[in-house]
Amino acid sequence: MSDSILNPNVTRRRFLQATGAAGALGAAGLGLDLGGGLSTLTKAHAQPAGAAGGETVITKSFCHQCPARCGIDVYTTNGRVHAIYGTLDNPLTQGKLCPKGHYGVYLLYDPDRFKSPMKRTNPKKGRDEDPKFVPISWDEALGIVAGRLNALREKNESHRFAIITGRGWGASDVGILGDFGKLYGTPNFNLGHSSICSDASETVKHIMDGHHAYSAYDYPNTNYLLVFGAGFLESFRPFTGNMVAWGQMRTKSPKTRVTVVDVHVNTTGTAADRLLLIKPGTDGALALAMGHVILTEGLWDRAFAGDFTDPALKFEAGKEIDPNTFNEKWVSGLAEWWNVVLKDCTPEWAEKITTIDAADIRTVAMDFGSTKPAVALFERGASAHTNGVYNGMAIHALNALTGNMFAKGGLRGYQMKTAWAKPDVKAEEFMDDYAKAPERKKPRLDGAKTEKWPLAKNMIQEIAINQLKGDPYKMDTILFYMTGPIFSAPDCKKWEEALRQVYVIDTSAYPGETSVFADLILPDHHYLERLQVADTYPFQGYPISMIRTPAVKPLYDTKVFGDTIIEIGKRIKGPTGEYYKRLGNTENLIRMLCKGFEEKPGDNGVKDFESFKAKGVWYRKPYAFLQKDGEFYEWDGKGYDKHLTPEEVKQKVMPTATGKFEVKVTELEHYAEYVAKRLGIAPERAPFPQWIEPRHPGGGDLHFVSPKLAGQAEGRSANLPHVSAIIQPTQGGKRNVFLEIHPETAKKRGIGDGDRVRIKNDVGQIEAIARHFNGIRPDTVALPMIHGHWAQGRWAKGRSPTASTNEVTANVSEPISGLAVFHSGKVFVEKI
Amino acid sequence: MFPISEPKHFAEIIPYLANLWREEGTMRFIGTVLNLGHGRSAAGLWWKLCLATGLASGGYALYMLVTLGHASFNTSSDGVNWGMPIATYVFFALTSSGLSMIASIPMVFGFEQFNPIAKRCIWLAIITLIAGFAVLALELGHPFRMLWAMPTGLQVRSPMFWMGVFYSIDLVLLLIKFYLLWQQDWDSPFSHFIGAASFVAVILASGMLGLVFGSVVMRPMWFGSFTSIYYMLTAALCGAAAIVVTTYMAYHFDRDRMPEPLRSMAGSHELPMVFATLIGIALVMILTRFWTGLWSNLDGFEGFHQLARDPLFHLEVWVGLALPFVMMISPSMQRREGAQLTAAFLVLAAMFYNRYEFIISGQFVPMFKGSWVNSLVPYTPSLTEWSLTVFGFSIALGLYALGEKLFHLSATPSGEPAVEQTAEAAA
Amino acid sequence: MAKWGMVIDLEKCTGCQACTIACGMENSRLPGEHWQDVIFFNEGQYPSVQMKWFPRPCQHCENPSCVAVCPVRATYKTEEGFVLVDWERCIGCKYCMIACPYGVRFYTEEKPSYGGPDVKQVFKSNDAHSWNPPWKMPDSREDWNHGVGVQPHDVVSKCTFCYHRVSKAPKGTADLDPGNPAQREFTPACVVTCSPGARFFGDLSNPRSRVSKLIADKEGVRLLDQLGNKPQVYYLTGSGGAVPSSHANVKA
Ligand SMILES: Nc1nc2c(c(=O)[nH]1)N[C@H]1C(S)=C(S)[C@@H](COP(=O)(O)OP(=O)(O)OC[C@H]3O[C@@H](n4cnc5c(=O)[nH]c(N)nc54)[C@H](O)[C@@H]3O)O[C@H]1N2
Ligand SMILES: Nc1nc2c(c(=O)[nH]1)N[C@H]1C(S)=C(S)[C@@H](COP(=O)(O)OP(=O)(O)OC[C@H]3O[C@@H](n4cnc5c(=O)[nH]c(N)nc54)[C@H](O)[C@@H]3O)O[C@H]1N2
Ligand code: SF4
Ligand code: SF4
Ligand code: SF4
Ligand code: SF4
Ligand code: SF4
Ligand SMILES: [Mo]
Repeated sequence: MSDSILNPNVTRRRFLQATGAAGALGAAGLGLDLGGGLSTLTKAHAQPAGAAGGETVITKSFCHQCPARCGIDVYTTNGRVHAIYGTLDNPLTQGKLCPKGHYGVYLLYDPDRFKSPMKRTNPKKGRDEDPKFVPISWDEALGIVAGRLNALREKNESHRFAIITGRGWGASDVGILGDFGKLYGTPNFNLGHSSICSDASETVKHIMDGHHAYSAYDYPNTNYLLVFGAGFLESFRPFTGNMVAWGQMRTKSPKTRVTVVDVHVNTTGTAADRLLLIKPGTDGALALAMGHVILTEGLWDRAFAGDFTDPALKFEAGKEIDPNTFNEKWVSGLAEWWNVVLKDCTPEWAEKITTIDAADIRTVAMDFGSTKPAVALFERGASAHTNGVYNGMAIHALNALTGNMFAKGGLRGYQMKTAWAKPDVKAEEFMDDYAKAPERKKPRLDGAKTEKWPLAKNMIQEIAINQLKGDPYKMDTILFYMTGPIFSAPDCKKWEEALRQVYVIDTSAYPGETSVFADLILPDHHYLERLQVADTYPFQGYPISMIRTPAVKPLYDTKVFGDTIIEIGKRIKGPTGEYYKRLGNTENLIRMLCKGFEEKPGDNGVKDFESFKAKGVWYRKPYAFLQKDGEFYEWDGKGYDKHLTPEEVKQKVMPTATGKFEVKVTELEHYAEYVAKRLGIAPERAPFPQWIEPRHPGGGDLHFVSPKLAGQAEGRSANLPHVSAIIQPTQGGKRNVFLEIHPETAKKRGIGDGDRVRIKNDVGQIEAIARHFNGIRPDTVALPMIHGHWAQGRWAKGRSPTASTNEVTANVSEPISGLAVFHSGKVFVEKI
Repeated sequence: MFPISEPKHFAEIIPYLANLWREEGTMRFIGTVLNLGHGRSAAGLWWKLCLATGLASGGYALYMLVTLGHASFNTSSDGVNWGMPIATYVFFALTSSGLSMIASIPMVFGFEQFNPIAKRCIWLAIITLIAGFAVLALELGHPFRMLWAMPTGLQVRSPMFWMGVFYSIDLVLLLIKFYLLWQQDWDSPFSHFIGAASFVAVILASGMLGLVFGSVVMRPMWFGSFTSIYYMLTAALCGAAAIVVTTYMAYHFDRDRMPEPLRSMAGSHELPMVFATLIGIALVMILTRFWTGLWSNLDGFEGFHQLARDPLFHLEVWVGLALPFVMMISPSMQRREGAQLTAAFLVLAAMFYNRYEFIISGQFVPMFKGSWVNSLVPYTPSLTEWSLTVFGFSIALGLYALGEKLFHLSATPSGEPAVEQTAEAAA
Repeated sequence: MAKWGMVIDLEKCTGCQACTIACGMENSRLPGEHWQDVIFFNEGQYPSVQMKWFPRPCQHCENPSCVAVCPVRATYKTEEGFVLVDWERCIGCKYCMIACPYGVRFYTEEKPSYGGPDVKQVFKSNDAHSWNPPWKMPDSREDWNHGVGVQPHDVVSKCTFCYHRVSKAPKGTADLDPGNPAQREFTPACVVTCSPGARFFGDLSNPRSRVSKLIADKEGVRLLDQLGNKPQVYYLTGSGGAVPSSHANVKA
């Protein structure tokens, strides 16, 4: 029995091995004797991962299936990974996982994984062209890359090398690309996928409260949750954390009441107390009407937002107020906003736009305004539209009006930085003249931060078009990391043409559409084979960082992406090569970074690389700031006792131009011209949250949305039969994902339940199986982006839909954030 | 050709065959064995035909089972768990029971005029049961385990356990009974006792088979005492139909070749009347069950609505049962050979589909699958399942023909009827 | 002697199906062989449509019809309340599947319901096992007499209440709380991973156990109680409404 971790006698010891230190137990207050723990601790570490002898070893890592990065315990016996559970003392996970957290075992042993570096031998490229890959050694592979890169440098064309990234993790993978770009000399060192992800919400926070980031919400203490277009119980990050919080919110007293705004009945909307099924792209109007009601009903938070000079004064529908009669506190531009926009945004007005009853709008607004603390949040559903940022501004403003910004039980704040140390090898010192030369300053391939997309962080969806147009220039070599726009970007077929023209390097551990067009494969380790670090997805605001430690020796001849980049670096001529030789490898880098924990140990006792590996997580509670009754305080080690002056608030808490929450957005004042040009609104109105008619590209008579389902791991779970088999009903059915369509809508088109249908518009056409569902708006159809992969492995192919939903998604972007408008398209649906 | 002196005791069979083999040499021995029996007859053809189809279908089924295993069935945990092979087993088992019931008419209740079909009934009962068991064995995951697991388990609460027990007893008694008749022992007290015992056994066996379905309250289309009674009575019908068909078969579908008293019996109107009564009872039971099911909206009864939409079900009821019923009561038709044969054939076909439809429709509404199953579960038998059914039928028919060839199935207490001569003369 | 039972709070359950996936992983199940399934229903007309769901493990009935019908006693109930299948007795007659009102049993030899190649063929076993998944549970934990591990061919399998974990719990344990490191490893996988904490596992025979209290305080109900199987899995419906009684969303 000694080989079973279930043996009572060894279990506690296992647990100690698992969590690595008795400190945790102390912290957890379990009063287990430290002796027993510590004595076996050393043994635990002496033991290599996946040790033989039937002992079950638990190694620490973090999940790879979504951006939330939940901490995981990986169970390995006889070198076989057989289980993954949440890490108990990881605050983000609390021992729990969402369904996807367990996929690791299947992904690790996916029989279709790439087994070694490979190079293409078939010069012809195309969907149906077999690349005819032949295995090569890492040395040869890296040599090939370095050869191309050095050649480019010699031709003064290093900018023609780009790295396109997706789900980056942290300092030891995408984190090292900045220096690479600097040293090698390309502006395209990290063209991220955030503009096909959810940039709009970050942009909204950025321009209104000064944080280009996702927010941390204090769910366990909130009493009202208002969700606009976010799959709070299906996708919204951190999914596991949301669900843990859900359990708390729905059983505490008072029970947190929840209203969800969506376009179809999903688990989130069902579990909520109220579901409002809104016309796609109109959330802004709804939020504005709610703001209108909150002001006219006098429900705004006076301590935070400010108040009339004369208590007799009030906001009355349609009537302007005299700005001088209103003293603004932390919300800048409120009076103007009311006068320019909000005064006319009555529920009756919104009903016409959103199709939601004015009465319901009023009720929800009153509930939200009169319940404290409360949270209003939104994600892609509300923002992946041509008017997405303005919709988001209207929603986010609700948190300010009701004084829930930085408040207990409200929008708690933004992610604090982890106490990483600076690596003691400095890239600056290794830049040669070529790298320093002014002509290195070139526009990015994707056009982000250029006059085309001045405010966008990334514009991955522009890359294919730009490449085809040769604007700003044609690329020579593109390396892909954790992203496959050829499947997941709008109008994805364009990428097939574009990738014919360049030398493509894919670092994926798996076959995929990208690799069909790849010239070179530099396969990554599977995440359970890696050493890698990351900072948490915003959770409670206080800093959390995790580490992946290998649970098993790599099954195949692969290399972790960070080391691949470093190895390429070593082969670049000149000081760049020197720099990377000094840097050594990612483990070395991580060890340097962890030095920062020495003076700032984690609450769980993590103080160096070793203890970090043992516990898997470093964190330091609490969040630094708190807003209470309109005053801001800073944590001084004992409590939120340090009162902050407006100057300090501007520096530390709300770094906007005004140092306040801006409903008159300074940033948009600067860009009023641009906004006017792109969105056709008068420049003087540009700074205010307001209603703008969405554009619905594609042509067609039905709105087309592709919601994420709880079982979907972005584009990465299609080859797992265990996953296809659980995809939730209404949209999933063991083998396929269905097109949700309202029975009436279907009957009008002669489409029966389960019939094959063609979904088409001027972008393209795909086929799918229709599923009659009363819970979707009759003017809308929904199809998740799970299946439709044509090159991801033996189980991914042959499922319905026949191709990526993005073959019918127009490449149109929200002009301010640059977010592709995935939920805004229109299509025709016809029976085949 | 080699003069065959037919063995009179089991003991004689071995030396007899050995002797035959010595005389004939291996090849011709096999040939002769395949041709065993009293000269040429229709049975000979049947026997060879069935041997061929049996080998083909059985071979295919075995091949699929060895390579793919039971994954070659279209049954599934989320849908129909018990498919066509089970239906086939039930059809044969109940037909067998029906035949022993018919046999009991002369042997237990002493209606002498039925004597001429008794021996044939018993032989048929034996082989249909064997056919049923064969199909069941190929359907089960681990048939041989049953041999030790049933007795050691003794799960007395399981209807299937009792079904097993009584059908085994039934088989043993049938064999004994057949041996006795073979030995021309019709009237000894022992023979009477065996007859009675086997009658009881067969009633219980068919009843237990009914209970297997009738006991599962979670399958409302099956639940209730109705099922057992229904199985017993319809068993008798199948038995009757089977014996009519096979008796005619034995005489080249020509009543004039039948010896007395068989001929007069077949020509009489009692037999058709008995037959009609049994059909009538079956019709009433099927229809009452059907409309009760249609009427009630108990969750799980949706299968009845599905049946209402199923053309085969209507063929079964109207063409397979109602029509023969009319034929058998109409004075003008009931005595006609053709009518009797058609009726019997139709009834057998109908009852086969009845077993199938009863078992499948009872599973149309799966247990708690919610929207995983967006309507009633679909089921069509796979080729393997079909081949098992064909296999079952070729076993039954083949062995029947063999019986015809080897034993005097029309034997009566009065000794051998001059049937062979008639046949010879005719040939 | 403990009498293990589970309580599932439908007011907390988010329908995420992590329990289904965790169960499949912990117990080396085939794809689609959902010992723990989450059953969805929807009814009503737009825009007032309701979607219902509830997680459905084996109910480990006090009065298990599966045990009653098993002709060879391959399915049996232990003193501690586990209803288990002995894979070395099972003859694969599927009668228990017919007789389980909750549809929680699975036959090994079936066409892949998940589409694509049969994983049993891809991860072929060269011994008595029906397949050989690389991620299968440690051999030392496999226990065919209790239906634990990768099963042999042609038998029926079902949720074991994580017998291989729970049966190792110290005697007298009232509740298995996955938040307690000392109990975590004995707690059923589905309970361990359930994020909102909708699942509870403990000793029903102990009136002081959390599960007993929850059932009492929150009016725990049992599925299809009229059938008399007396499940040892209780549902707390709270404002989540009744447990759906329909077998399937059949439009007959
Ligand atoms: N229609 C529609 N389109 C969408 C969405 C939608 O909801 N609907 N969602 C959008 C959103 S939010 C996002 S974030 C994007 C996501 O889309 P992408 O950014 O394309 O990310 P994925 O498709 O998840 O995976 C991309 C690639 O990562 C590779 N990969 C998998 N594992 C590894 C690994 O271990 N190492 C390396 N180096 N590579 C690996 C896979 O082969 C895959 O090709 O899709 C967007 N597109
Ligand atoms: N399970 C799972 N979780 C994930 C991911 C995953 O792939 N799977 N991916 C992660 C990533 S990369 C991201 S970016 C996040 C995205 O997280 P979300 O933004 O929550 O994901 P989406 O599904 O794109 O959008 C959420 C909801 O918006 C609804 N919706 C569509 N149009 C509208 C509209 O006009 N108005 C309103 N009110 N609602 C609308 C959709 O029906 C959907 O239910 O999820 C993350 N978490
Ligand atoms: S929420 Fe994201 S990170 Fe956490 S377990 Fe689920 S998929 Fe993994
Ligand atoms: S894991 Fe928990 S919340 Fe998710 S479906 Fe299962 S029981 Fe419900
Ligand atoms: S739920 Fe079904 S399988 Fe489980 S004990 Fe009850 S009857 Fe048996
Ligand atoms: S399938 Fe196995 S467990 Fe089920 S009843 Fe038959 S023998 Fe018993
Ligand atoms: S108790 Fe164990 S076996 Fe049963 S459903 Fe939960 S995880 Fe699966
Ligand atoms: Mo994303």
